[in-house]
Amino acid sequence: MSSIKEKFNQISPSEFFYSNRDLAGFSNPTRSLYTAVREFVENALDACDQKGILPDVHLTIKAVDPDKPDPKPYILTVKDNGPGVDTKHIPLAFGTVLYGSKFGLKQARGMFGLGATMAILYGQITTNKPVIVKSSTDGKIQDQFEILLDIQKNKPVIQKHTTKEISKKGLSVSICLEGDYSKAGNKIRDYVYETSLITPYATITFDDPKGQKFHHPRFVKEIPPPPTIIRPHPHGIDVERIRRMIVESQFEIPTIDDVMIEKVRKDLGLSKQNLSFTAIMTKAKKKWKNLSRQVRVVIALLSFLKMDFEKLSKIRIEDLDVPNKKLHYWDFGDSQSKTVDMDPESQYYKQLTNTVQGEPLTTFLTKRFQRVGPTTAVKFAEFAKFKPEKRMGTLTNQELVNLSDSLQKFDDFMAPDSSCLAPLGESPLEKGIKKFFNPDFVAVVQRPASAYSGFPFIVEMGIAYGGDIKSGGPHVYRYANRIPLLYDEGSDVVLKVVNDTDWGRYKVKGEPPFIIVSHICSTRIPYKTAGKENVADRQEIERELRLALQFLSRKLAAFMSKKGQAEMAKKRANLYAKYIPMIAEFCTELAGKKKEPNYKKILDELEPVEVKSEEKPVEEEKPIESK
Amino acid sequence: MKASEKKAKEISKKAQEKQKTILESLKNHGAKIYEDLENGQFPKFSIPSRSVGNIVYDKKLRQYILGNSTALRSAKNSAQLRSFTQLMWLAFFANRLTQEKKSSTLRDVYYSSQAFAIEFDDQSESDNIIVDLEAVTSRPREDFHIFPEERSSIFGDLNIEYTIPGYEGKTMNLSNHPDGYSIGPSLTTAELVDTSAEIVIAIEKGGLFTRFVEEQVDKKFKSIIINTGGQAPRSTRTLLKRLHDEMGLPVIILTDGDVYGEHIAMVIKSGSANAAHLRELTVPDAKWVGVWATDIEKYKLPTIPMTESDIKRCYDLQKDPRYESGIWKKELEVFLRLKRKAELEAFAKYGLTNITDKYLPQKLELAKSL
Repeated sequence: MSSIKEKFNQISPSEFFYSNRDLAGFSNPTRSLYTAVREFVENALDACDQKGILPDVHLTIKAVDPDKPDPKPYILTVKDNGPGVDTKHIPLAFGTVLYGSKFGLKQARGMFGLGATMAILYGQITTNKPVIVKSSTDGKIQDQFEILLDIQKNKPVIQKHTTKEISKKGLSVSICLEGDYSKAGNKIRDYVYETSLITPYATITFDDPKGQKFHHPRFVKEIPPPPTIIRPHPHGIDVERIRRMIVESQFEIPTIDDVMIEKVRKDLGLSKQNLSFTAIMTKAKKKWKNLSRQVRVVIALLSFLKMDFEKLSKIRIEDLDVPNKKLHYWDFGDSQSKTVDMDPESQYYKQLTNTVQGEPLTTFLTKRFQRVGPTTAVKFAEFAKFKPEKRMGTLTNQELVNLSDSLQKFDDFMAPDSSCLAPLGESPLEKGIKKFFNPDFVAVVQRPASAYSGFPFIVEMGIAYGGDIKSGGPHVYRYANRIPLLYDEGSDVVLKVVNDTDWGRYKVKGEPPFIIVSHICSTRIPYKTAGKENVADRQEIERELRLALQFLSRKLAAFMSKKGQAEMAKKRANLYAKYIPMIAEFCTELAGKKKEPNYKKILDELEPVEVKSEEKPVEEEKPIESK
Repeated sequence: MKASEKKAKEISKKAQEKQKTILESLKNHGAKIYEDLENGQFPKFSIPSRSVGNIVYDKKLRQYILGNSTALRSAKNSAQLRSFTQLMWLAFFANRLTQEKKSSTLRDVYYSSQAFAIEFDDQSESDNIIVDLEAVTSRPREDFHIFPEERSSIFGDLNIEYTIPGYEGKTMNLSNHPDGYSIGPSLTTAELVDTSAEIVIAIEKGGLFTRFVEEQVDKKFKSIIINTGGQAPRSTRTLLKRLHDEMGLPVIILTDGDVYGEHIAMVIKSGSANAAHLRELTVPDAKWVGVWATDIEKYKLPTIPMTESDIKRCYDLQKDPRYESGIWKKELEVFLRLKRKAELEAFAKYGLTNITDKYLPQKLELAKSL
C-alpha cells in the first residue's frame, strides 16, 4: 500500500503538470514569462510576510542573446531578503513538484511550491538549463545549488552544490526560460507597478532586458498583521473534507510487529525483561498516564488477549468487532483464526472503541471546526438528526453525505473567523493611492469580514479622482490576496459591479480622471479559471463590493459637488476680475472723473474664494476620507 | 429776419439744454457706480422691470406703461455681471455719442462694442441692452444718438433747422424733393420751424406714399405725408408726436385693411408694450381712418382671405384693453366676420387715382368727426 502511494506522489505530479502546463499559465512564451515572474515575486513576498520582514525584492530579466528575435531564452532572477530555505530542503523544494510548506487555512498569495516549481519545470523543458538557487538562512553562509528536475521520478538532480560566506539572509532563484519580453513587457511592468501599490511596505526593483530600471521603494514602514492559521468553518466543507478529517481524528489499530512490541517494552521500562501478562498489566496501570496513545491501544488489546509479549509476537489482530464486542485474531502458532470476547465494562474497552470509532459528533465539531461551541454542536446534532454522541468512525457513506449537507444548511453557526485574513488596511491603501496618483480626492474603505460558502473574505476598496490620473476612467485596479489581476478583465465580478454603477448619479461625467482599487482577501478566492485572473460573481462577494463602491461613490459625489462649487467660485472670481475693471473704466469717464475708482478692494475680498478652490480641495477632504 | 434768427437761437439753445440734461443723467448714473466702487462695494442700480407682469395699460395716458416693480441689477451677481458691464459700456458709449453729437445705428452699437472687448452674442443682445438703457434713463435711444435703420420718409411743406454737427442752423424745406426725405438722425433731431400744412397723413406703404406725392396730396389737402414703412419706427413716431405737439397738426393714419394695419395705427396712437418704459412716443390724438373692415364692404374692395395667423392676431388683440371699445373693437369684429382683408392698393381697381380723388377726401371729412 505505502509503496504504491509513494510512487503516485513522486512521479505523477511532475508528469501531470508537464502535460497540463497551460492550466498553470504556461501556455506560450509571453504568458509563461509573465507567470514565472509572478510566481517568483509572490513567493518572495509571501516568505517575507510570514516572517514579518519588510520585503526587498529584486527582479531581473536578461536575454541570453539580446540580438535574437523574440521568443528567445531569458534568464529570470528573483532575489529577496526573506528567511531563505534550509539547506536540506532546497533540493526537494526546488526539484520536486508539490513540495511545500504553505498548507493550512490562511490567506496567502498562492500555494508555495506549485507555481514556482512549474516555472522551473517550464524553464527546464524549454532551455534544458538547471535552476540556480542561492539561499542563506543565517546571513553568514550561503548555499548555492544548481538543480535539474527528473520529471518521471519527480526527484531533484543536484548538478552542483557550493557554499560561500555572505553577509545577508535571503533567497535568490534564477531560471532560464523561453520567453517573449517584447510582448510580455507591458504586463510585467504593470504587474510590478500594481504589486508595489498593494504592497506599500515592500521595495520592488525591476531591471528589464532593455536596461531600464523600475524602482518602487517602500513608503509604508509597517507590515500589516500576519494572518493566523485557523480551522475550517462548517459551511466551507464537503464530504471528502469531512472524510479526511475523520481519518485524521481516528487512530488505526497499530500493526503489532516486533518494532511495536519493542516500543511498548521500552515505554513500560521493561526493555529485555520478559514479564507475565499480569505483571505487564500491573506495570501498565502504574505508568498509564505517561503512555502514548499507540501503547495504550496495545495494552488494551493485550488485556483482552491475556498474553505476554512472547505470545503477542505470534499473532496478528484481524478485526475489532465493536458492536458484537469481539476481538478476532490469527494465531501463527497453530495457524487458525481465534476470537475472544471483550467486556464492555472494562476501561480498556472504552479505549479501543474511542480509537476505532473516533470522537463523538459534538467533540468532532467543537474540536475540528472554528466557531462551534458545545451548545451549537448539540443544536446542530438535533437539526441534522444525529445523536450528539454519535461516533464519527461509525458513520455510513449516506450518513456522511447527510452530515455534510446539514453542515451547509445549518444557519446558526457564527460567521467565519476572519483572523486568517490579511487585508492591507485603510491607511496603507490610502497612502499607496496618494503616492501613485497624487489625486485631488481619495477615499478608502475596508468592509467588515463576510463569508461565502464558509470561506471568510474582506473587501477593501479605494477611489481617487484627479491629480495624475488619466482621463477616461474609471480605471479599475483589481487585486486578490495582494496579487494584481491583469488578464481576463471582462468577466470579473469587480468590473461587473463597477460597470453597473450609474456614475452620473454621483456627479461623475464625461471621461473622468478616476480610479478604483479593489482588493478581495479570502482564504479561497473564487477564481473563474485556473489562471487566477478573474473573480467569479459570488453573490456575497458581489454584495460586499457593491456596498464598498456605493460608500466610496457617495464620498466622491460629495467631493464632486464641492469641486463643482469651487470651480464655479473660480469662474465667478475670473468673471469679476474681467468685468469689474471694465465697469470702473466706463463709469470713470461717465462720471467725468480722471482717476479710476479703487475697485481692488472688491477683488481682494474675492481672493480667498479663489485660493480655497485652487489649493485646498485635497486638504478639505481629509476629515471625511480618513476615518 | 431778426425774429427768425432769434428763433434759431432759441432752437439751438433748446437743443443744447436737452443735450445737457441727457449728459447730466448719464453722468449721475456713472457717478453712482463710481462711488460704489470707490467705497469698496459692488455697484448696483435699479431698473424698472420689463417683464410682462409689470406692463400695464394706463387709461389716462392712453398707453402701456411699466408698473412699479423694479429689478435690482448688481455687479455682485455673477449672472448679471456681464450684462451689467455691457450696460455700463453702452452708457459710456452713448455719453461719447451725445457729447460728440455723432449718431449711430443699432448695428453700429453692436460692432462698436467689439473695440472695447465687450462681447455681445448677437445684435439682439445689444439691442436688448439698449432698451435697458432706455428703461434706466427713461429716455428713448434716439436721445443718445442711437437710431434704427431708416426706412420711413416724409414729404410736405415743412421747414426744419438741423442741429447736428456741421449743419447747425442750416434749414431745409421738406417739399423740395419729390421722393421725400428719409427720417433719420438729422431730421429727428432737427428743429421744426414752420409749416403751411394743416394735417399729417401717415401712410403704411411706400408705394402709396409715392402716389400721394405725385397726386400732390400735400398741396391739395395741405398735408405732410409720412411713409411709416410698415410698423412705424420710433424716430417716425417721435416725429409724428412732435408734428402734433409742436406744430399743432392733427395726425391721421391710413393702413392696409387688415388686422396688422389696424395695429400699426394703434401703435402710433398709443405705443407698444415693448416700449412701455418710454413716453413721448405716442400720439394719443392720432386717428385711424382706414382702410377699415367695414370699408371693404362699403367700397366693394377686392379682397384676399385672411390667413391663420391673421385670425389668431385678431383674437390676440381682442384681449388688449385698447381694443375694448370704439372702432377698434368694431373693426376687429368685422374682420373676424369677413375673414378677408384688403390692401390700400385695392382701390386701383377703380383707377389709380381713385384713392386720392375719392376715398381720401371722404376719410378726411370723416376724421373731423372722429
